[in-house]
Amino acid sequence: MDAIVVDQLRKTFAGSGRMRKRAPVEAVAGISFTVAAGERLAYIGPNGAGKSTSIKMLTGILHPSSGQAEVLGLVPWRQRRRLAGRIGTLFGQRSQLWFQLTPRQTYSLLARIYRVTADEERARIAELGELLDAGDLFDRPVRSLSLGQRMRCELVASMLHQPEVLFLDEPTIGLDLVAKSLFRDLIVRINEERGTTILLTSHDVSDIEQVARRVIVINHGRLIYDDRVSQMRRTLLGTKMIDVRFAQPPDSLEIEGTRLVKLSGAGAKLVVDTTLRPIRSVLDDLLDRHEVVDISVSDPPLEEIVSHIYARPA
Amino acid sequence: MRAYLAGFDRGFRRTIADPGDMAVRVGFFAIILVVMVALWRAAIAAHGGSIGGYDMRSLLWYVFAAQTAVLGVRPRSVEEIGDEIGSGAIAIQMLRPVSVVGLRISIELGEGAARLLTALIAGGMLTWWFAGPPPSAAGLALAVPAVALGCAANVASQHAFGAVAFWLLDAKSSWFFYQKLVFLPGGMLIPLELLPHPLELASRLLPFATMAYVPGRLASGDADPMLLAWQLGWLAALMAIAVAAFAAGERRLSVVGG
Repeated sequence: MDAIVVDQLRKTFAGSGRMRKRAPVEAVAGISFTVAAGERLAYIGPNGAGKSTSIKMLTGILHPSSGQAEVLGLVPWRQRRRLAGRIGTLFGQRSQLWFQLTPRQTYSLLARIYRVTADEERARIAELGELLDAGDLFDRPVRSLSLGQRMRCELVASMLHQPEVLFLDEPTIGLDLVAKSLFRDLIVRINEERGTTILLTSHDVSDIEQVARRVIVINHGRLIYDDRVSQMRRTLLGTKMIDVRFAQPPDSLEIEGTRLVKLSGAGAKLVVDTTLRPIRSVLDDLLDRHEVVDISVSDPPLEEIVSHIYARPA
Repeated sequence: MRAYLAGFDRGFRRTIADPGDMAVRVGFFAIILVVMVALWRAAIAAHGGSIGGYDMRSLLWYVFAAQTAVLGVRPRSVEEIGDEIGSGAIAIQMLRPVSVVGLRISIELGEGAARLLTALIAGGMLTWWFAGPPPSAAGLALAVPAVALGCAANVASQHAFGAVAFWLLDAKSSWFFYQKLVFLPGGMLIPLELLPHPLELASRLLPFATMAYVPGRLASGDADPMLLAWQLGWLAALMAIAVAAFAAGERRLSVVGG
């Protein structure tokens, strides 16, 4: 059964400026896809690709310029309030917690809004607190929480009414590496333990690899890629970036399976072709041959993946 | 309805949990009363003991009730609504299965109820001390619900004005305009009877008089229950306008980016 059906969805924002002289902006340019119930989908694209606009239409905040969509059998922009009771949302850049209250006080208000009984409210808060390891945060004022702690509390707020679909818009933005990793694990657990359909937008490639099973890439409002993440990893994520700082500038830096992108003084940037050589082996090589002060491994930026998609043979 | 009652309850509890804010407001209220006592005492003395039909005692009870009704309202609500719409933060509130404006108003009414309780008690005691007992017990009894209705009309009206931001993406200018409407045609600064006649007539046709003038007039001794009916009529109309403005605005909301 499909949880989300999108058919030729389009959103054009009117031109701005005096007398609307600037040209209209086509944020979403006729996209179509379906998401099965219980699926974990990453909906990704560079900044300005149309990800957030799509989510806002699918949650009923924005009315599309044309096209159709159904979420859980409801048309979001016509049945927004009915749909709101069955979906959860988490926007990384916007909070749904009241800053003057503790998370528990916000949950209490949300429970009344979503018609959750007092017994259910208590049980779910305890269960989610345990699942997200956040129970000790619920009685602290929101303004005193770190971003990572707040995001865990936000997730509880999104899950309190047991939504069937969870929309996550850039949920890991601003989090440190440890918090990001923890948060990704939580999303996967919620999906696996509750069967909640997950639609995640991000421009962090690691979010996609660690959370989603399927990925849709959009660019300039158009769908340009739709496949399993495992397939994407094989065809598009064949590289990793290594940033390394040595104790002393190296005489030479020739390491098999890598390409030197930049060498300035004691710092270097290398691209590793992971289809030729595993990243771990390259790291071992670097650490054995040189005195390393600092080292980090990152994924290629999303813009690079998008250009790979365009460069593929038709 | 449960959600809106919970919103009211949350607003009430949040306000009483912040005694600092309450203390500042009551302190400011006391200063306004002291200043008004001095001003009106001079004005009434210059007019032979009465002005526009108000003597010193009735005028001070007018000032108390009119100021209390306005004090209950969140001070910059129009501006805040405009900022939330302009920045797109309102989108989060649209993702709940309840009316956005209904929940906002219920929370603000809860906050207002807490402030009104404090202001009624503290301000009432101060006014009694400055002016003596109220001119009419019946008038004061009617003034208490009128203060609450005036506060509710003000909250609803601020939402109707704030909704302008769905079209203009900002409500700062409408907040400036709104404030002045409550001050003068609303009767917050002076009773409508003291305005020039055409302005007094125009003010009686506008809803702002129900926010300060009506509670003030009742507390000054005019125990006319029709004043409450006037308030109720405008309150229903302002609620309907606020709901309609938000419904129309939400349909045309334009939020770009995350």
